[in-house]
Amino acid sequence: MSDPVLRARGVARRFGSQVALEPTDVDVEASEALALIGPNGAGKSTLLALLAGALQPSAGAIERVGDVRVGWVPQRAAFYDRLTARENLELFARLEEEPDHAAVAAQLLARFEIPADRPAHTLSVGNRQRLNVALALLGDPRVLLLDEPTAALDPGQRRRLWETVTALRDEGGSVVFATQNLEELELYADRVAVLQRGLLTFVGPTADYRQFHAEEIFT
Amino acid sequence: MRQAALVLQKDLRVLVRSPLLLGVLIAYPLLVAGLVGLVAGYGSSKPRVALVDEDHLPQVVSIGGHQFRIQDAIDEVGKNVHLVRMDPVEARRALATGRVVATLTVPPGFLADLRSGLHSPSLVYQVTRGGISSRVTQQVQALVYGLNRQLQTAYVQTDLRYVQLIVTGGRATFAGRTYDVLGLARMEKLLQKLPPGAERDRIAEFARIAGVALAQTGSLLGATANPIGLERAHEDSRSSLLSAQVQSYALALTITFLALLLAAGAIASERDENAIGRLRRGLISMGELVSAKVARAAVVALVLGLAIALVFGLIVDAGGVAGGEPWQRLPLLAAGLLVAGAALGALGTLLGALARETRTASLVAVLVVMPVVFLGLVPREVVPVAGSLSDGLPFAHAVRYFSASLYDASPWKAVVRELVWLAGLGLVFGALARVATRRLLA
Repeated sequence: MSDPVLRARGVARRFGSQVALEPTDVDVEASEALALIGPNGAGKSTLLALLAGALQPSAGAIERVGDVRVGWVPQRAAFYDRLTARENLELFARLEEEPDHAAVAAQLLARFEIPADRPAHTLSVGNRQRLNVALALLGDPRVLLLDEPTAALDPGQRRRLWETVTALRDEGGSVVFATQNLEELELYADRVAVLQRGLLTFVGPTADYRQFHAEEIFT
Repeated sequence: MRQAALVLQKDLRVLVRSPLLLGVLIAYPLLVAGLVGLVAGYGSSKPRVALVDEDHLPQVVSIGGHQFRIQDAIDEVGKNVHLVRMDPVEARRALATGRVVATLTVPPGFLADLRSGLHSPSLVYQVTRGGISSRVTQQVQALVYGLNRQLQTAYVQTDLRYVQLIVTGGRATFAGRTYDVLGLARMEKLLQKLPPGAERDRIAEFARIAGVALAQTGSLLGATANPIGLERAHEDSRSSLLSAQVQSYALALTITFLALLLAAGAIASERDENAIGRLRRGLISMGELVSAKVARAAVVALVLGLAIALVFGLIVDAGGVAGGEPWQRLPLLAAGLLVAGAALGALGTLLGALARETRTASLVAVLVVMPVVFLGLVPREVVPVAGSLSDGLPFAHAVRYFSASLYDASPWKAVVRELVWLAGLGLVFGALARVATRRLLA
C-alpha cells in the first residue's frame, strides 16, 4: 500500500430529497488505477465529481494530500460549444495558469488529433470526447478522474487514451475511472470500488473483486 | 480577477459569434418601443363622434350679420375629433355598439334660439364609458369653446354696431322692425338749437360723457368676451420623436432587454455546457464568475447604448433641432450605461442562476423584463405602489439617469442620486446571484 493522494472522508451528496451518495470513505493511492463500477444511478459520477471538486459534498470532506492537482473527465463533455477546440484548450490552460497556454493547447490538439479550429459544437461525438479528455490533462494533473471515458471513442482512440492513463500511473500518478466495461476493468484496474444505490459495497484489489463480487454487481 | 477577465473575454467572443441572437436582442426592444409608440398613437388618434343635426342647419348660417359656414366649424373640430353625420337612430345604435364614442346632437330650434339672442341654446352630448371618454369630452368642450369664440366675435361686432348707432345715430332693424335712431352726436346738434340754460347744459354734458364712454365699448366688450387669450408660439424645440423622454426610454428599454437576457442566458449556459463543474474546481470562484457575467452585461449596455445615443445625436444635428447637448454629455451618459448595465446584468445573473437552464432562464428573463419596464413607465403620481416597486428595480433609475445626464441643465444631483441607486441595486442583486449560483452545481 502506498500513501493516499486523495481521500474521501464520510463524503455524501444529496440532491434535494434524493440521496445520490451515502457517506463514503475511499482513498486514492499513488501509482494506482482504481475502477469505480456499479449499475446506472449507483453514484459513480457523483463520487467522481466530488473527488474532482466539481460538486460540494452535503456531508464529509475531500482531502487532497499536498494540494495534488486533479484532472477530471466528466461523462458529459464540459467545454464551450461556440469556441473552437483550440480556444477551449487555451482558455482552460490560462485558467489552469499554464505558463505557455498556446504551446500546451497545440500539443494536446496534436496528441489527440482533434480538429483545432472548428467550433466545438460541430465536432463528432468522438472528437468531443477527445477534447473532453485533453482538457482534463491541462495543468499536469497527478490524479486523473475519468467518468466512462472510452464510451464514445473508436478502438484506436481508446488504446491511445489507455496508453496516456497507464503512462501517468507508471510515472507515479493515480487514475480513478468509472466504467461499465468489465474488460477495461480487467486490463487496467489495480483496485475496484463497487457502488450500489449510492452505497460503497466493496473496495479491494481487482483479483478479490473478481473472486467474490463480479457476478453480484449487475444482477 | 484575472480569471473573471478570461471568462468575460470568452463570453464576449461567444456573443460576437451569435450575430442572430445579438440582432434579435437589439431589434426586439426597438420593436417593442415602436409598438408602444403605435399604442400611444392610437391613444391620441381621432375618436369618432356622431353628429346628429335635428335642426337641419343650413350650409351657411347668418347670425348678427355674420355668415357662418357650418362645414368650416366641423372641419375645425375635425382636427381633433372625427365627426360623422348620422340620423338619431343610427347614432344611438353606433354609440351602443361602440362604432362611435360619443354623439353630439343639435336639437330642434337650436338655430332660432341662437339667432334670437334671447336664450342660450344647448348642444346635447352623450359619451360612452371608458378610457378615452374624458378625452372625447375635452374635445367636444373644445368644439363648443371654439364655436362660442366665433359667436362672441359676431355678437360683439353686432353689439358694437348698436353702440355706434347710439353714438352717431341712423337707421337700424331690431326684432323685425326698422327704427330711426337720433344718436348722441345728432342730439348734441339739436341741443345747440335749444335756448341756453342749466338743463340744456346738463343734458349736453351727459351726451358728451356718454359719447366718450361708448367709444371705449369695443375694447371693453372684447376683453369681457376673452379675459385671457392663448397664443401658440413658433416651435423650435425638438420633435416628440427626439424628445429627451423618448431617448431616455429607448436607451433604458434596450439595455434592460439586452443586459437582463444576456446575463441570464450566460450564467445558465455555463451549466448547460457543463463547464460550471470544470470551472468550480478551483479555476474561478463563483463570485468571479458572477462578476464576469455582470461585466459583460455592462460592456454590451455601454457599446449599444452609446451607439443609440450617437444615432440620436446625428439625427438631431442633421435636423438642426435646437435643445439638448448630446455630444458634450456622452461621457456622463457612458458612466450611467455602464452602471445601469451592471445592475441589470446582476439581476439577469440572479434570474439565470435561479432558472438554471438556458431556455428557462431566457423565458424567465423575458417574463421579468415586461413588468420591470412597465412598472417604470407607470407615473408614481398615478399608482404610488408601482413607483415604490419600481424603486427596487434598475429600469426607472436608468431612465431618470439618462434623462438627467442628457438634458438637465444641472444634472449632477439627479445623476449622483440615480448612480447610487443603480450601484446599490447592482450590489444587492450581485450578492443574491452569488448565493444562487449554488443551484447551478446541483
